[in-house]
Amino acid sequence: MSRGLVRGAVVAALVCGLAACGSGGGGQSDGKELTFWMYQDRTPQAGQVMEQVRKDFEKANPGVTVKLVKIPKDDYNTKLGSAVASKSAPDAGILDQPLVSKYALDGTIKEVPAGLITEADYYKGALDTNRANGKLYGLPQDQTTVALFYNRKLVPTPPKTWDELKQVAAQVHAADANVAGMNVPKGDGYGAWMFPGIVHGAGGEMVDDAGKKVLFDQPPAVEALQLWVDLQKSSPRKITDSDKPFENGLAAMTISGPWDVPTIKEQFPDLDFGVAPLPYKSEPAGNIGGEDSVVFSTSKNPDLAWKWLAFLANAQNNGAVADAFGGFPVHLKAQVPAGGPEQAAFLEQLKVAHARPAVPQWIQVNDEIIAPAIESALTGKATAQQALTDAASKTRSLLGWNG
Amino acid sequence: MAAPVLERVTTGPGRRARRRPGARRRDHLIGWLLIAPALAYFLIFLLYPALSALYYSFTDWNLRTEASWVGLANYADLLFDDVKYPHFWKSVSVTLQYTLIAVPLTLVAALAQALLLNAIRRGANLFRLLLFLPVVTAEAAVGAIWRWLYDPQYGLINTLLGLVGIPGQNWLNTPELVIPALAFIAAWQCGISMIIYLAGLKGIPGSIQEAAIIDGAGPWQRFWRVTFPMLRPTTFYLLVTGVIAALQVFGLVYVIFSGNGRSVTGGPEQSGLTYVLHLYLFAFRYDAMGAACAMSFILLVFIMIVTALQFRFVKQEAA
Repeated sequence: MSRGLVRGAVVAALVCGLAACGSGGGGQSDGKELTFWMYQDRTPQAGQVMEQVRKDFEKANPGVTVKLVKIPKDDYNTKLGSAVASKSAPDAGILDQPLVSKYALDGTIKEVPAGLITEADYYKGALDTNRANGKLYGLPQDQTTVALFYNRKLVPTPPKTWDELKQVAAQVHAADANVAGMNVPKGDGYGAWMFPGIVHGAGGEMVDDAGKKVLFDQPPAVEALQLWVDLQKSSPRKITDSDKPFENGLAAMTISGPWDVPTIKEQFPDLDFGVAPLPYKSEPAGNIGGEDSVVFSTSKNPDLAWKWLAFLANAQNNGAVADAFGGFPVHLKAQVPAGGPEQAAFLEQLKVAHARPAVPQWIQVNDEIIAPAIESALTGKATAQQALTDAASKTRSLLGWNG
Repeated sequence: MAAPVLERVTTGPGRRARRRPGARRRDHLIGWLLIAPALAYFLIFLLYPALSALYYSFTDWNLRTEASWVGLANYADLLFDDVKYPHFWKSVSVTLQYTLIAVPLTLVAALAQALLLNAIRRGANLFRLLLFLPVVTAEAAVGAIWRWLYDPQYGLINTLLGLVGIPGQNWLNTPELVIPALAFIAAWQCGISMIIYLAGLKGIPGSIQEAAIIDGAGPWQRFWRVTFPMLRPTTFYLLVTGVIAALQVFGLVYVIFSGNGRSVTGGPEQSGLTYVLHLYLFAFRYDAMGAACAMSFILLVFIMIVTALQFRFVKQEAA
């Protein structure tokens, strides 16, 4: 009897071990299950919105089950890359805007079937983030931008121009040396992502991707970086490097996006803040971000997957879905869910927002070249011009561009 | 349930007597079956990925398309092309600095804690638990807590320094202070080394200490002439494993410098861009899996050399 027990235990162990190895594929046997990867819900309400949309879709398509797989944003691209490499990608999923062209050029995602959507129904800027080689590879789901958050107690009227911004920041810091005028972005990946919006505000461009020219060593970009350098005089890092300086009332202004509004209201109910479009030098401008959705080439149900993506992005659902994703609708007729008074500023900002350069290596340029250049100017190790001249020449070498 | 059964099979007195011809072969089979899960795990999850990584280190691969063979180009570019990999050598230097500070600091902290724990009788279990807690705490929580402790405005560390008149520092945002700050967290997490040191201390025969006392050795002399030399095998083991772990530090830096909208560019001026973080970024953020694989093998070779040197030049025997 004891030997039987041993054998049983060994077999059980083996079966468990093998089952653990074999269950990675997430098999869809009946062909009616659709797997959709997305970021983890930002708020409980966002989860409810997605649940409702999922139910509506399943009701409209009897026999179909949509499986929403929610992954923390920090891990998302890593997990997706691994899934694609191991040929176990989901049917469809969210994709950060700069990745769409990469995935498209690799043949990892499918082209949008003709007639799925009416292109004229969508904001052109958001739709264009889905293009590669002139073809459409995904549907936009939400678009977003950053704007100026200001503490009403410290800044009664938000500055509109760079000069006003510097002046207001200086006044705040002069009134109380423990308060920084502005939480100036840093020379990290996030700061480098926000930087182009400031450059556009001086009438400049980061690159001319069609003409293969690097332009961020030109005066508009240098002036933009100089603005951040100048702002630091009234905004010491020692203050702004603390945890949530704006929320804690230690920085009078900061740059952030709509995703921060509910978080601040929930966690810092006493903070009286407003949101205004970014101050500019010569023309109002900002940068654009957001999520697109794509169908992977390994999908077993591509038609159904496209139907689901179009359902998320249609006039009826996109307002709520985009809001759940933390941005604004991409469908022209979609209702923007009524937001707080901050909303107007973001919507105005979106009208003048520019998409980031359509350069496949842009994330690397952003992180490895522009971010350190910004940091060296902010810490005074180089002038703004020196830092950007150096960064531009490195970018030219990396991309193999002459201009 | 399993334990008594195993005991009867392996050591039960009756079995040997009842052994029949062919039983040996059956024992072999059972042995193989017993190690099969571990063997399968080793082959599928350790050996196969390692060999794949070696193959991919000679290719240009972005995870999505077919890998194309490039021979030694990844290795050559990593070492010599500072346009493609501007921060490779920076990440090497960051990691070496971290190792040089974190490993000794961890060993000293672990030994000090072990000596204290060994000396007390009452409440030893409680302190052992408390000192071990940092090891079992989730890395993300550790990162969050230490970001707060190091905070330039609200941080407890600056507050404590202020009490003794040392001006507060912007620990995680001053390039020169980032590595010492990270090493300090590593030393705070020295629980495992502490437990191993404690075991080593328990293994020193009391008679030797007594003899030293009779010979008139003071506490200081007893530590340097008796305890420390007797702990040499333990110290050697912790040194070798500690250096290997420090050269691969990743999780701590990742949670300290990412999350909350911060992006993982490795802290101010890449001062916290450790080798494995750099590797991770190329693997999963910049789409250069081939280069990332090459980086991992450069690290493997480096670790083997460092370990061999330690075996050659560091005293290992108890004296």
